[in-house]
Amino acid sequence: MISVSRSSASAIAMAGPAVVATLMIVTFSSLELLGHTAFAVGPFRNVAEAAGMGAASEVLRLLGNGEDPTRVLPIRGEIISSSVRQATALEAAIWSRRRELVELLDRRGAIVDAPTRQHLACLAADLDALDIVEFLSPGRAPGCEHGRALDLVLERTRKLP
Amino acid sequence: MTLEGVGLPGPERSRGQTRGLWRWLSYAYGALVAAGIGYFLWDVPVQVSDSYGNIVTASQGTLGSLVSSEFHQRAYLRPFLWGLIRVVLDLSRGHYFEWFRGWHIAQIAVLIVLFLRLVRPSTWSGAAAVPIGLAALIGMHTFAGTVEEAFPINTFMTVLICAFAAADLAVSPPRLWKDIAAALLFVFAALTVESGLLVAVVFVAAYLFGAHGVSRAGIGVQVALVAAYFVLRFGILHVGSPGLEERQSGFGFSSLSPGDLVARFGANPLPFYAYNVVSSWLTVFLSEPRGGTWGFTRDLLHGEPSPAAFVNVIASMLGSFVLGLYAWRRRSDWLARRFNRADQLVLLFIVVAAANAVLSYGYTKDVILSPAGAFFAVALAVASQHFLESIGHMPSRQAAAAIAMLAVLSTAWSFRAIGAHLGLRASAATLRGEWAYVDLWLERKSQVPTDPFALALKRRLEDDAVRRHPLRPMLAGEWTQWFPE
Repeated sequence: MISVSRSSASAIAMAGPAVVATLMIVTFSSLELLGHTAFAVGPFRNVAEAAGMGAASEVLRLLGNGEDPTRVLPIRGEIISSSVRQATALEAAIWSRRRELVELLDRRGAIVDAPTRQHLACLAADLDALDIVEFLSPGRAPGCEHGRALDLVLERTRKLP
Repeated sequence: MTLEGVGLPGPERSRGQTRGLWRWLSYAYGALVAAGIGYFLWDVPVQVSDSYGNIVTASQGTLGSLVSSEFHQRAYLRPFLWGLIRVVLDLSRGHYFEWFRGWHIAQIAVLIVLFLRLVRPSTWSGAAAVPIGLAALIGMHTFAGTVEEAFPINTFMTVLICAFAAADLAVSPPRLWKDIAAALLFVFAALTVESGLLVAVVFVAAYLFGAHGVSRAGIGVQVALVAAYFVLRFGILHVGSPGLEERQSGFGFSSLSPGDLVARFGANPLPFYAYNVVSSWLTVFLSEPRGGTWGFTRDLLHGEPSPAAFVNVIASMLGSFVLGLYAWRRRSDWLARRFNRADQLVLLFIVVAAANAVLSYGYTKDVILSPAGAFFAVALAVASQHFLESIGHMPSRQAAAAIAMLAVLSTAWSFRAIGAHLGLRASAATLRGEWAYVDLWLERKSQVPTDPFALALKRRLEDDAVRRHPLRPMLAGEWTQWFPE
């Protein structure tokens, strides 16, 4: 009897954790196929959230779906910060600190005018994203009032109810 | 019903049915594992680097001209890799993602079937060892490179299948057709990627350990083919082998750039080669060093080892302990040259690990050691089964400790297996990012395509990666740091 319970216990100790892991993976996959991804951030609710997470492929896809990268959109607190919950995709891209993403948006015509470029360069300077500052304002200082661009973005969240 | 009850000696028919039951349970479990990893693999787009350009190259000329031109490359001799890419490309008729990724998933399924054929679970203890073996197969750090990247067909995965098929042929009853199949398998594997040479090692080692599925004449053909390979590569085609200047390499607690390597070992590379061989061998047993770098040891000395690396090392050390214990218990039979099937599989692993490490002399990288890692999983499964069966004969305290160790071993490998899936998810996100930036990347490399096929291919693959199979929600949280990717 002891031998039987011992062999059962040892078989369970050896196979159990691995079987549980496999069942977790299969369950996770099945749930995802049904539209629910466990333990995940997302899916992104808009192009600003995708940009904030640096998810370039999602940014492209959502732009293709007609989303506007210059529009101020709601962003969940866990994407950038609880103090940044209202931003454009361009601003969020700067928070992701991915210069290539800013360049990608620029190539797609998202930076529509000089004031927008100036605002973004100043925001990048406030966030110490110096490679993005160099991309947006190559070879010269953008001429910003320190902290003003950042404050402008943070102010939107402060105004939220 | 107890586990023993199912396996109790009884009428032959009943015993056969019981064996069948455990075997089918094991195959059903293998199907679940294959489905799980297949699902995550289906999320990985065809990559830009190492795949887009390769597909464009493979599309040029005829299949024959493509394969024959690859016999005249420098440093690498991989004509069948290119032939296989071309065949799948032609079969795809424009459905590149579906065919290349579908091929990859089919390879995983074949690999798992071959794994189960090798460990042949026919008792309760054999079936109980299957989950830990498959967790080791998928979770081994040397396995990640066989699924997280492709060229766009992962040649390392192809070689894993060839090596397992070779072992399967070798440990089964002898037949004349197996000699022919063995020769064809070697030629295909060796001309796909250099680590395919291990197929011959598997056949020869298995024969020496009493597995005569391939005859003595067949083994003679294998030896002759290996000799012919070296004559062809170095004497006739002058392909040569990669030099120190090819890539950076781990050394000690950090990595050296190609320039550093040449400066340090250019005059006498033998110490560097010896370091690579020893590092490659150790990583299979300990998960350390990785790519020649002793990262876990360095972080441990600094008091900041990552939880994932800790899990890796614990899993490998306990697994190696079970293997060592098996070897110790079987030593008298081995010295008397009495080998059962489990012995043959464990000894095959030991030989493949050594040969694989030697093949890695030029530079060490996890994925190059994937054959050794895969045979580690097979050996772990059979050694764990043996260990499990021995617990019944242990004193109570020793048995309790053994059961606790098995639980830790299985849990650690389960973490690694889950980590392999997380690695695929992370890889899928990274590769999608590459497609988003593909134009920037091609411009920087001065490789902007102008050829109509290359342009259409780029558009199609980008569309596959960004729009048709979009990024899935990203997994996040502190918990992920415990799972080695």
